[in-house]
Amino acid sequence: MQISEDMVRQVIMDILGAAQGSAPKANGSSDAPPPLSFRELGTAKVGTDRNEVVVGVPPAFGKAMTKTIVDIPHSDVLKEVFAGIEEEGLKPRLVRVTRSADVGAIAHDAAVLSGSGIGIGILCRGTSVIHQRDLQILQNLELFPQSPLIDRSVFRAIGRNAAKYAKGEQPNPVPTRNDPMARPRYQGLAALLHNKETQYVKLGAPTVELAL
Amino acid sequence: MIYVAGVDVGNNTTEVAIAAISGKDDVRFLASGMVPTVGIKGTVRNAMGIIDALDRALGPIGIPRSDLHVILLNEATPVIGDIAMETITETVITESAMIGHNPSTPGGQGLEQGRTIHLDALAARGAGSETLIAVVSGDSDFEGAAAKINAATARGVQVVGAIVQKDDGVLINNRLTRPIPIVDEVKFIDRVPLGMPAALEVAPPGRTIERLSNPYDIATLFGLDPEETKRTVPVARALMGTRSAVVIKTPKGDIEERRIPAGKLIFLGHQRRVEVPVDEGADAIMDRVAEVYPLEEVQAETGTNVGGMFEQVRRVMADLTDQPVTAVKVQDILAVDTFKPQQILGSLAGEYALGNAVGLAAMVSTQKLPMLRLARKLEEEIGVPTIVGGVEADMAIRGAMTTPGTRAPMAIVDVGGGSTDASVINDQLEIKSTHQAGAGDMVTMLINTELGLDDFELAECVKKYPLAKVESLFHMRHENGSVEFFQEPLDPRLFGRIIVLQPGNWVPLDTKELLGKIVAVRQQAKRKVFVRNALRALKLVSPGQNIRMIHFVVLVGGSGLDFEIPKMISDALMEYGVVTGRANVRGTEGPRNAVATGLVLAYAKHYEG
Repeated sequence: MQISEDMVRQVIMDILGAAQGSAPKANGSSDAPPPLSFRELGTAKVGTDRNEVVVGVPPAFGKAMTKTIVDIPHSDVLKEVFAGIEEEGLKPRLVRVTRSADVGAIAHDAAVLSGSGIGIGILCRGTSVIHQRDLQILQNLELFPQSPLIDRSVFRAIGRNAAKYAKGEQPNPVPTRNDPMARPRYQGLAALLHNKETQYVKLGAPTVELAL
Repeated sequence: MIYVAGVDVGNNTTEVAIAAISGKDDVRFLASGMVPTVGIKGTVRNAMGIIDALDRALGPIGIPRSDLHVILLNEATPVIGDIAMETITETVITESAMIGHNPSTPGGQGLEQGRTIHLDALAARGAGSETLIAVVSGDSDFEGAAAKINAATARGVQVVGAIVQKDDGVLINNRLTRPIPIVDEVKFIDRVPLGMPAALEVAPPGRTIERLSNPYDIATLFGLDPEETKRTVPVARALMGTRSAVVIKTPKGDIEERRIPAGKLIFLGHQRRVEVPVDEGADAIMDRVAEVYPLEEVQAETGTNVGGMFEQVRRVMADLTDQPVTAVKVQDILAVDTFKPQQILGSLAGEYALGNAVGLAAMVSTQKLPMLRLARKLEEEIGVPTIVGGVEADMAIRGAMTTPGTRAPMAIVDVGGGSTDASVINDQLEIKSTHQAGAGDMVTMLINTELGLDDFELAECVKKYPLAKVESLFHMRHENGSVEFFQEPLDPRLFGRIIVLQPGNWVPLDTKELLGKIVAVRQQAKRKVFVRNALRALKLVSPGQNIRMIHFVVLVGGSGLDFEIPKMISDALMEYGVVTGRANVRGTEGPRNAVATGLVLAYAKHYEG
């Protein structure tokens, strides 16, 4: 049987409806934070500065979608990640990877652009990866798969650890929490968010350098 | 012709040598086997491992177990080692008045002095000449904190430094109109007394603080009298080697160094009884041990650290060997100075300091009974007569003599897991041997403790294999500085890390220590235990207690396979003009299998056909 996006949406809506509001409120509701004002600086170039960590985000990040699955505004996400990088004495650089909504691909594209070879990929719902340019896309240095468990302090730690990798230090991996209930509670929502995010992908489009 | 098996049960490995004996001294070795020892050496549980080792040796040559004429078991000189470690000093700082630690990224740099004030109280301060140090708790955001400090500075308030709970030092500093030194990651910020004079120092990257680690500088800054200065000594000492520090003067001298009584050791020899306090350190302890040699029993002061440790050793040994606790006698100990990372009680940032500690390996002599029980058990299991015989070190030297190019007189040092043995054979083929506590296991314990690994297996790994730092996914730098490149990318889990080059499975270390530090800890641990014990053991067996009278030393035992221990022992013995080398038992076995081989040879000596 062919499963279409609409079917997924319908099934999730049915379930959410049946759960009578016990499920978390869907992203994109009326109290969503305002979109971020990005300035686009043209096609992103490969950096030559060993002192930078590139942060890659998907096309919808901060525009069509403005907060993570647990309602952290995207402005705060970037602030914490950048703070983590800055505290270690490195410089963050932001790019929008337009060609994909896959966290591994985004992180790897960022890493390839990064002068230090270290990149971070962050999806709209919060799922994140620290990547290195010599790795395969499906590998990673650190992976944070459970988006509902990523709070501000984890975003800060992701920035910090990425910067430490870039400095050639050996950070202790950020402790990843695991909540067995996160899956049943959030999986439907995560699927919806993924579908929404994917709509904005333009295959073959170049990665764009951003400034806040 | 008969088939015999020599079996050597060691702390870590059980080794077997199979031979055909056709007449007196007519021995032909057929096979060897080695498996990890099952259970503690010298207990009935060893039988499992022995049977396994026999099968592994006998299988390939197609001889069934029942064809064995006799199994020769080493006397395993029923000695079991145990190791423990007790701290001898502890610094307790009550109502803590200092923060000294190594956040990886403090902000700014320099030395500043001022009165502590809460960040939120800054708004109420007017311009003035009094210098202030802002205390920023975790609920403040770095942007907000920087804004408040900037606002105060703009009004003419002298904010000269800050103490921050979160890892925000660089972030706040980057946002200040006037940069100040900032100590961050202060975990217990709520315990920082407010309104007290304080001094704050942050060193430039790559340096350590210089002023606050000096008691006289602290005295100068706070105007202390000699009595007060004396009380700041533990503070200054604890701050040594850190990159940032804060010292706060509290109303009362609230710092005390408490010495936990480490306890006394009492050595009972043939005629003498000597006491030595453990906190005099390893050298003093070992000097006393040498004084009373041979030891008959070691007692420890009850109700102290060391007393508890000995209690534990005795109880474990009594359990293992099924003897009453009173029958367990400590026959030898090896003491080693070491360090143990310890939380400073009453500190504000959860700091650790390296406390002095003494590591002790105790060797407990038990009776021959358990070995005989093991022999009976073996007879029951496989139906082959089993003889217990031969002092381990005597057998080891017989086995070692099968190394091509050796002849009496010579000496061996058997470096194993639990004990270090030495024996000497003279021109008349008389053998003299000794048995010393402390070997590979103790080195593992020292590495485990000094690096704070808290993982015995990982420490074992660090002991056995060299280290490298993975600098990119395609190259690593070995501990000797050489670089190795790879065609295929390495496992991302190794990226940027110090790894242990365990063959087939490289293990990343989660540690903040530098590669050089880990190498130094490993090498020192080996020197402290193996070199000290080799010299101690050789001294006891050499003619006239003079190592110079020995000319050739052959290393046997599992630790002889280590990648650096043989060189260390060799270097140390070079000073005595002794030639040292690793055994190659029967020309094929390397330093292993010496005891098992020796057992067979000793049996063949008396075999009449």
